Amino acid sequence: MKKDILIAGVGGQGSLFATNVLCQYALERGLNVLGTETIGAAQRGGSVVSHMRISDQPIYSPLVPPGRGDVLLGMESIEFLRNIKILARNGYYILNLYSLPTVYTNLGIDRYPSEDEIVAAVKEACEKGYIIPATVKAAELGNTQMTNVVMLGVLGKVDDFFEYSEVKKIVEKISPKKFLKENLMAYEAGRELV
Amino acid sequence: MGEKKYVMGNFAITRGAVESGVQVAAGYPGTPSTEILEGFAEYQGIHAEWSCNEKVALEVALGASLSNVRSMAVMKHNGTNVSTDLLMHLNFTGISGGLVVISADDPAGHSSQNEEDSRILVHTYANLPVFDPSNAIEAKSMVKDAYELSEKTEMCFILRPVMRVCHSRAVIPFEDYDEASFPKAQWRDDRDRYIMSGVEVPELGGIKRPQARHRWLNNKYKELQELFEGSPYNHVEDGEGNIGLVGCGIGYTYIKEAAGMLGKKYPILKLCTLPIPKKKILGFLQDKEKVIVFEELEPVVENLIKQLCQENRIPMEVLGRSGFYPPDGELTAQMVLDAVKKADPEVKVIEEFQPRKIDIEIPVRTRTQCVGCSYRSLLYNVKRIARRYKGIVFGDIGCHDAGSFKPLELQSTIYCMGASVGMATGAFFAGEKRPVFSIIGDSTFFHLGLNGLINASYQNGKQVVVLCDNATTAMTGFQPHAGSGINLYGESAKKVDLNKFGEAIGVSVHHVDPYDNKRTYETLKEAVQEEGVSLVISSRACYLKGSREGIKFFEPREVHVDQERCNGCMVCINDFGCPALIYEADNKKVHIDELTCVHCAMCAVVCKRGAIS
Repeated sequence: MKKDILIAGVGGQGSLFATNVLCQYALERGLNVLGTETIGAAQRGGSVVSHMRISDQPIYSPLVPPGRGDVLLGMESIEFLRNIKILARNGYYILNLYSLPTVYTNLGIDRYPSEDEIVAAVKEACEKGYIIPATVKAAELGNTQMTNVVMLGVLGKVDDFFEYSEVKKIVEKISPKKFLKENLMAYEAGRELV
Repeated sequence: MGEKKYVMGNFAITRGAVESGVQVAAGYPGTPSTEILEGFAEYQGIHAEWSCNEKVALEVALGASLSNVRSMAVMKHNGTNVSTDLLMHLNFTGISGGLVVISADDPAGHSSQNEEDSRILVHTYANLPVFDPSNAIEAKSMVKDAYELSEKTEMCFILRPVMRVCHSRAVIPFEDYDEASFPKAQWRDDRDRYIMSGVEVPELGGIKRPQARHRWLNNKYKELQELFEGSPYNHVEDGEGNIGLVGCGIGYTYIKEAAGMLGKKYPILKLCTLPIPKKKILGFLQDKEKVIVFEELEPVVENLIKQLCQENRIPMEVLGRSGFYPPDGELTAQMVLDAVKKADPEVKVIEEFQPRKIDIEIPVRTRTQCVGCSYRSLLYNVKRIARRYKGIVFGDIGCHDAGSFKPLELQSTIYCMGASVGMATGAFFAGEKRPVFSIIGDSTFFHLGLNGLINASYQNGKQVVVLCDNATTAMTGFQPHAGSGINLYGESAKKVDLNKFGEAIGVSVHHVDPYDNKRTYETLKEAVQEEGVSLVISSRACYLKGSREGIKFFEPREVHVDQERCNGCMVCINDFGCPALIYEADNKKVHIDELTCVHCAMCAVVCKRGAIS
């Protein structure tokens, strides 16, 4: 088996925590894991792309090649669109419908597409997937920083490879103490979004 | 016994050094290499330091090596450029305790101002042996071997990981080590080697020492060639046909990735050492007509194989970076597939990649200063002054450099670290009538900026140097420096007194608090009207770091945009450009994004109509 996952978002959205949870899950099942992320200017609101590859066979390159991704997790709408080429024909996506404007869209140089346009483009380009309001949910729970954990909850629900309760155990294990309760709530909330 | 850990490639490199008994490690932060040195803070009994720049770091590592302990210098490719002068001497002298230099490359320039292949400097130019790891596990193993071989051959070894090795995450074996077995410092004079000077060497017919040591280096190079014939990092994988694929470092992994998608099994030669193992390569070439070399970033190995074919009169098509596939940027599995198809049009590709059609324009995402950062209000005022006096602003590297992009477009240049001050001096002496400014960060200033400032003063130049001092190397993740007052371990350290420094070199020193808009403007105005060199120091801690540590930067104030008063003039966006200010094209008005705003209220002073309050 193999599971090639890509998480696309913006610096500060917590994609690293999400990859750590999923990696730990795979490692506990004795699978090979290899990943990489582009983190250059991530702390300054730049794009962040995390590649995560899980397989029972040897994995060579840490990069998921275009058209080979099994799962594309989009933490932010245009970062998701930017990486859509990675998704395999039979792959699926989970998109957090959330717009973080860029410096240029703020300026009015670029135009940030509307939610309707984004949804239409995504449905046109991809067959299988889920569009969810993870950040809205996280904000309802009190902290947008939990977007990543809400998304993990969705993944645990929709993907047979990731057993819901087992992923939860890892969220529990690696969450910093002061966020533990919030994170578990966010994880549960994710399940209810799909 | 050891254990296995899922860690970043950079920490695998640190661990390799620790298990090898490294006693001294020095470097300067730079993506993708930074975490390697940070990793040493976890271990006891090792001196690790953020040096002022990479040449100093290499000097420190060399001094430790000649004192007979194992040492490491850590840098990214730009740092290797900076340390080249020393590299071009230590290659001649050789070393004592094992010395390994990490020169991390960033193909595609994901986090760099340029892209380059540092193998050219360290190997083609300095003739030093290089390990080019294909993955993080191999990188760790190479570090350990490099220390053994470094001492065996008396040569400094280079590890050249690319970003995808540094920033990969993999399961790494952590082995035990015995600190008691590591050698203790013991200096031994070896004046024939360590005194590099143009003195005669009678036993070699009176040639000068530089030539004698060059001869030594050339002989060492041959020795290394032999040594690498048996290296575990170079191997052949059998296949069919007369087209061979050569994978160097990370290039090998893309070949293996692509191999799973190709309907034919090609013979593969994995090459991860320089010098190249000539005999091994000649063996591989025997029944081939073509080979394609996959390497990052320049055709280094490709050219060496061409040379080898020429020396051995082998008619062979050697294809690669020199034009057969794109000569710039990162490799991908797709590039390997495309190149193989081009060389072998008959080959079938399983599951050919078909791009998804996406009918929407995707805006680019550039970086900017964080919301709340003091640099934003500082740059705002520099822009006002520069506009008023028609100044030219020379830029440097650091968080402030985001002022070079839209919306501010303040700085006119970004080159390498420290270049701003010297270039401004040049523009002044060229006779440019407009006032010249340079903007430089604190860490960059201590790296190589202060030489430019001393020079500007010494030459009787005229410029305003704006020193953006946030007491840390923020862009790479808050590494301390000579102006921070702490060292790599977070312990208290000496701090350069910039006032005394400015006084000693004869420049006029000013201080501003960038959150005090009015006085910042007035001080800059005063500076631009002065004779000689003015140093305007803006000292406030990095907002991102400081707010995490609970530092209070300003009295938080709720700010709103009065939608009646806002006339969409865009001044707040074009001259200030805080990401919490959102321009709505539909009604041509600005509003503040509540989720992003940190209530510094600096934007309120920017709006001339008083719409923000």
